[in-house]
Amino acid sequence: MDESVSVTPPLPPIPVKRVLFIEDEHFISELYMHTLSKAGYNVKVVFDGLEGFNEAKTNAYDIILLDLMIPSMLGIDLLKRLRAEVPDLRAKILITTNLEQTKEHRKEIEDQADGYVIKAEITPRQMVDFLSHLA
Amino acid sequence: MLAGWWIGSSLLQANVTLLLLILSVLAAIVALLFARMATNYVLEPVRMLWQAILHVSPEHADAPAPNLQTAKVGHELINSLVLQVYQLASNSGKPADKAQIDNVAVAIASSLPLPVFVMDRNQVIMYVNDTAAKYVGVPTNELMGKNLYSTLDLAFSTTDTFDSWLADAKAKTLTSSRVWEHVRLKLPSRQEMLQFDMAAYYNKENPANVETIMVLFDHTKRYGEADDENGMLELAVHELRTPITLLRGYIEVLDDELKGKLDPQMASFMQKMQVSAAQLSTFISNILNVARVEANQLVLQLHEDTWDSIVRTTVHDLGLRAMVHNKTIEYTPAANLPTVAVDRVSVYEVLSNLLDNAIKYSPDGQKILVHTSLTNDGLVETTIQDFGAGIPANVLPHLFEKYARNYHNQKQVSGTGLGLYLSKAIVSAHGGNIWVRSKEDEGTTIGFTLQPYSMLAAELKNSDNKDIVRGAYGWIKNHSLYRK
Repeated sequence: MDESVSVTPPLPPIPVKRVLFIEDEHFISELYMHTLSKAGYNVKVVFDGLEGFNEAKTNAYDIILLDLMIPSMLGIDLLKRLRAEVPDLRAKILITTNLEQTKEHRKEIEDQADGYVIKAEITPRQMVDFLSHLA
Repeated sequence: MLAGWWIGSSLLQANVTLLLLILSVLAAIVALLFARMATNYVLEPVRMLWQAILHVSPEHADAPAPNLQTAKVGHELINSLVLQVYQLASNSGKPADKAQIDNVAVAIASSLPLPVFVMDRNQVIMYVNDTAAKYVGVPTNELMGKNLYSTLDLAFSTTDTFDSWLADAKAKTLTSSRVWEHVRLKLPSRQEMLQFDMAAYYNKENPANVETIMVLFDHTKRYGEADDENGMLELAVHELRTPITLLRGYIEVLDDELKGKLDPQMASFMQKMQVSAAQLSTFISNILNVARVEANQLVLQLHEDTWDSIVRTTVHDLGLRAMVHNKTIEYTPAANLPTVAVDRVSVYEVLSNLLDNAIKYSPDGQKILVHTSLTNDGLVETTIQDFGAGIPANVLPHLFEKYARNYHNQKQVSGTGLGLYLSKAIVSAHGGNIWVRSKEDEGTTIGFTLQPYSMLAAELKNSDNKDIVRGAYGWIKNHSLYRK
């Protein structure tokens, strides 16, 4: 795994994108870390909502993958606070969850995020493809 | 001496008899006097009541009113009874005052502990009682004068909606009444979904312009318990999805890492694992979405999209599944199809379910053909054709029903039957139709239509939202957006 993280991508046409992955399920984060790193992304994983919020506030990331059911601070609360406290956030926020929402909650989330995926319905490879289209 | 005693005894007996006779006469006189006095006291109220009736009777106009002050027994009762006689006489003796009747009607409706809505012939709300305003959480003055359909977004469990009943009643009858069980109403002002039974009465000739009266019987708690079961299902689905995410992910990583290093059989096992994990994921989504359809909670957001790209993606994704079952999918797109208005995730599920069925029911080595075309009505039609065993004639009429494939025909057709039920709900919510043509031993063709985006563009233009939002309802909305 460490080897795959250190793989240098063959001169990407754009600078390496930094991804913050806020996910408390260790196997899932390991899986995505592996595939995204192989695809050339620089990935940092945090397992906790509050830690994720503090990390996201640094505005040092291009993409934030945010799970909703995370400890310390729920994903939806993290999203709201981030939008309120960092209005010029440059990262695209993609909700990655397996939790179904009511239509009202989903609308509320989608209004503040840039994408919403059900993890069980895509594979890591499809996620890489998805991120490449996330402007 | 003996004779003297006898004479003396006879005289005494005569006196006693006389005395008894006198006493009996006196007792009779006293009893008569007492009875007369008692009659005066006890029957006086009845007499007064009778006198009151005579007094108000047109045939006995000269009869005086009873003097209620003289009543010695049951003074309050007789006062009340006589007043009621006068009240009845005043009501029956002259035509009823309309305003008075209206006031009585409003007083009755206001005191009812049930929500009452009264509509005119344009379904504009003329009156709601306080209970109704409280129930829907909207002040009375904000409800009055509004159209019922724009105010209450009622959803019914069958196509027999309030709207369709009223249209039918208006066309065919003078009066009609109807009761619906389990109606749903979601209002922005209330957190929870209101669920109730509902009764309505229609009267075409009502001079007061009141055409329809609607009464609700709240059962939010009882019906809500069934919704909680759906909540449990969503939690169960969440728990199932995590291991599936991992299973699919790790298989994919292994596939990447071991590419070219596995012998053909191991490579084939790897592909079958991939396909099975994806199939499990589809199945879980189907279960959840069917539950949502049933609970009126599957909402679609239609966007403009290129149909060809969606079909290509699905054919590609299902291609591996077909391949491991030694079948192939051939896609022939129509040229120059217009863009469609679709919820991409949902129509992917429709295509995926239909292709999955075709893969299941095709014999080894057979092709599955996917075609797209433009119908004469300007709709985009997609067909999926297999050359399998076909569907038995007794199953065909029920094919799109939930659990159409039950234990009666399980031997003939395997599977849960949820996929087609869900596909129909999703296609219908897109404004399209789904159909099947099948012959045993020759194969099956299932087709469905979708509306081109241009057909719905006007709706989008008139909407406040950027999307066209649709419900994939087993629940039928009261006033369909499709209705012109």
